[in-house]
Amino acid sequence: MIYYLLHNLLPFKQELLLLLGIFILLLTQIFGGKQHTEWTLQWVNLLLLIIVLAGFWPVGYNSAFSNMYQLTSLNAFEKSVLAFAAYIISLQGYNWLQRFEHTYEFYVLVLSSLLGMFCMLSSTNFLFFYIGLELSTLPLALLVNFQLNKKQSSEAAFKFIMSAAFASAILLLGISFLYGLSGSLNFNAVAAKLILNPFSLVAFLLFLAGVLFKVSVVPFHLWTADVYEGAPISVTAFLSVVSKASVLFVLLNLLFKVFYHLQSVWHIVMLILLLVTIVIGNLFALRQENFKRFMAFSSITQVGFILVAFLGNAYNASTAVVYFLVIYLFSNLAVFGVITYVENAFDKQNINEFKGLYKKNKFLSWVLLIGLFSLAGIPPTAGFFGKFFLIMSGSENLNYIPWITLAAVNLIISLYYYLRVAIVVFDNNVEFDAPTIAIPQPIKLSFIICIVGILITGVGSWIYHYIYSLTAAAF
Amino acid sequence: MGTVALFILTIAAIVFSAGGILASRFFTKSVYNPQKGQPYECGIPTSGTPWSQFHIGYYLYAIVFLLFEVELVFMYPWAVIVQKIGVGALVEMFAFIVVLFIGFLYAHKKGALKWM
Amino acid sequence: MPEVLQKILWLSTALFFIGVYGMLTRRNMLAILMSLELMLNSVNINFVAFNKYLHPEKLDGIFFFLFIVTIAAAEAAVAIAIIIHLYRYHKNIDVGETEELKY
Repeated sequence: MIYYLLHNLLPFKQELLLLLGIFILLLTQIFGGKQHTEWTLQWVNLLLLIIVLAGFWPVGYNSAFSNMYQLTSLNAFEKSVLAFAAYIISLQGYNWLQRFEHTYEFYVLVLSSLLGMFCMLSSTNFLFFYIGLELSTLPLALLVNFQLNKKQSSEAAFKFIMSAAFASAILLLGISFLYGLSGSLNFNAVAAKLILNPFSLVAFLLFLAGVLFKVSVVPFHLWTADVYEGAPISVTAFLSVVSKASVLFVLLNLLFKVFYHLQSVWHIVMLILLLVTIVIGNLFALRQENFKRFMAFSSITQVGFILVAFLGNAYNASTAVVYFLVIYLFSNLAVFGVITYVENAFDKQNINEFKGLYKKNKFLSWVLLIGLFSLAGIPPTAGFFGKFFLIMSGSENLNYIPWITLAAVNLIISLYYYLRVAIVVFDNNVEFDAPTIAIPQPIKLSFIICIVGILITGVGSWIYHYIYSLTAAAF
Repeated sequence: MGTVALFILTIAAIVFSAGGILASRFFTKSVYNPQKGQPYECGIPTSGTPWSQFHIGYYLYAIVFLLFEVELVFMYPWAVIVQKIGVGALVEMFAFIVVLFIGFLYAHKKGALKWM
Repeated sequence: MPEVLQKILWLSTALFFIGVYGMLTRRNMLAILMSLELMLNSVNINFVAFNKYLHPEKLDGIFFFLFIVTIAAAEAAVAIAIIIHLYRYHKNIDVGETEELKY
C-alpha cells in the first residue's frame, strides 16, 4: 500500500515539496505565536534547493490524474531551473525580506506561483494547463502589490491583474473553440484534429495571443514596463525571469506537440512578432531613465530573440531556448541582484543615480558589468553562446535568413544601451552618494552563483549536450 | 385570439390603475406633514442619510464569503458519483475541505472576520 | 452544426465583445471587473453549448465551465482586494486617476 502510494506520488516530488512548504508556512502562521523570520528565510531557501536537486532524480513512472499530468526529464530539468531562479531571487531579496512584515505571505505566494508553473509545465490537458496558468498568475498580482504604502504598487497590481485576466479570457475563448473543434481537451486528441482551416486558425491565434500576453511580446507588451516599475524589486526579478521562462517553456511544448500541423502559420506569425518585438523593445530601451523600466524593455527584446529559435525544428529549438533561458537566468539575475541591493539599501532607482558606483564598490560594479555584457551577448560571456544557438536554430530554414539577419543587426543597437549603463556605473568623476557599502553574506553568495553561472554555462559545452539529450528524450 | 385577449387585458390593467390614481387625485384633499416625508412612516425616526457608504469591513466579508462559497461548486458533481466510487471519493473531498479549512483558519487568525 | 448552436454562438460572441468594449471604455475599476466577468461567462456559454450539441458523450466542457467559474471568483477576489487597497489608501478607483506610471 505504502509502496504503491509512493510509486504514484514520485512523479510529483517537486510539486509535493512545494505544497509541503506552503502548508508549513500557513500552519506556522496559524498556530505559531512568535515570528522567526530569519529561520524561515533559511529553511525556505533550503527547500528550494532540495526542489532543484529533486529535478535530477531519474524519472520513472511518469503520468497521473488520468494522464492529465505527465513528467518528462526535460520538464523536471525546467522545473529545477525555475526553482533555482526563485532561490537566487530569495537570496537577493535578503535584506528586504528580513525587515519586511509579510515575509511569510511573500513565500506562500512565491511558492504557490511556482506550483502553478510546475503544473502548467507538465500538463497534457488544456484544463490542467489553464489551472496552472491561473495559479501562477494570481499570486503574482498580489506580490506586485507588496509595497503596501505606495500608490504606484497598487496601480501596477491592478494593471497586472486586469491585463492578465484579459489575456486569459482571450486564451479561454481560443480553448473553447479548440474544444468545439475536437471534442477533447487532451493535447494529443486536439493535435490529431487540427487541420489548416479558418476555424482552427482562429482558435489557434486566440490561444497564442493569450499566451504571448504573459511573455509580453510586442503588441501585448503594454503592461510590462508599468508593472515592473511599480512592483517591489524582488518581485520584478521574479516576473522577468521565472514567470517569463515558465511560459516560454510551455510554449515550446504547445507549439511543437499540439499545434505542429499549423507550423506554416505560426512560423509567419512568429517571424512578424519577433521582428516587431526586437525593434520596439530596443527603441524604447534606449530612452529609459528608470532602471526597472530599462530592464523591462531589455527583457522584451530578449524574448524577441528567444522567438527566433522557434523557427527551427523541435529538437534544436527547445534545446536552444532552454539553454538560453538558463543563461538568461544567470545574467538577468546578476543585474537584478545589483539593482535590488542598491534599491533596498539606498532607495535609488534611476540609472543616473548609479553614477560612480565603481569607485564605491568594485565588486558590485563588476557583477553588474558582467551581467550586462552577457545580456548584450558579448563573446567571452555565456550570453553570446546562447544567442548564437538561438540564431543557429532559427536559420535552419533558408527562407528566413534575411529576416533573421535583420534581427541580428538589432543586437548592435542593444549593445549601445547596455554599454551606456555600464559607462554610467564606471564613471569615475562623480561620487556615489551613499554611506559605505557592506553586502550581507546571502547576497554575496547569489552574486557568486550568478557570475560562476555566466562563465561556466558559456564555456562548458556539456551543458548544451545535456539539455539536448533531455530534449531528444522528451519529443 | 390569444393576443387580442392579452391586448385587452393590458389596456384594462392600465385603465384600472391609472383610473384609481387619477380618481384619488381628484376626490381627496392632500395634506402634507413632515412625518409623511420619512422613508418609514412608523417606528423610530431614521438617522443619517440613506446614501451613506458601506463600511469597508463589509467588502472584506464579501471577499472571504465569495471565496469559500464558490468552492461548493465542486461538491455537486462529487455528490452525484460519491456512491459509485466509495471511500476514495470521501477521502478526496475530505482533503479538499481540509485545505479550505486551513485557508479559513488563516483568514480568522489574520482578523479578516473581526468587525472593525 | 445544429441551428440552436449557431444562435448560442452568436449570443456568446456578442457577450464577449460587449465585455471587451466595456473593458476598454469604462473608467470605474469595478465596472472593468464586471466587463471581465462578462467575457469569461461568454466563454462558459461556449463550453456548455459545445458540450451539449457537438460532443455529448463526455462532460469535459461542463467541467471546464466549473473550473472557469471558480477561478473567475478567485480572480475577482484578488482584483477586488487590490481595488479596496487602492481605495483605502488613495480614496479613488477611477482609472483616469491612476496615472503615476507612464512611459
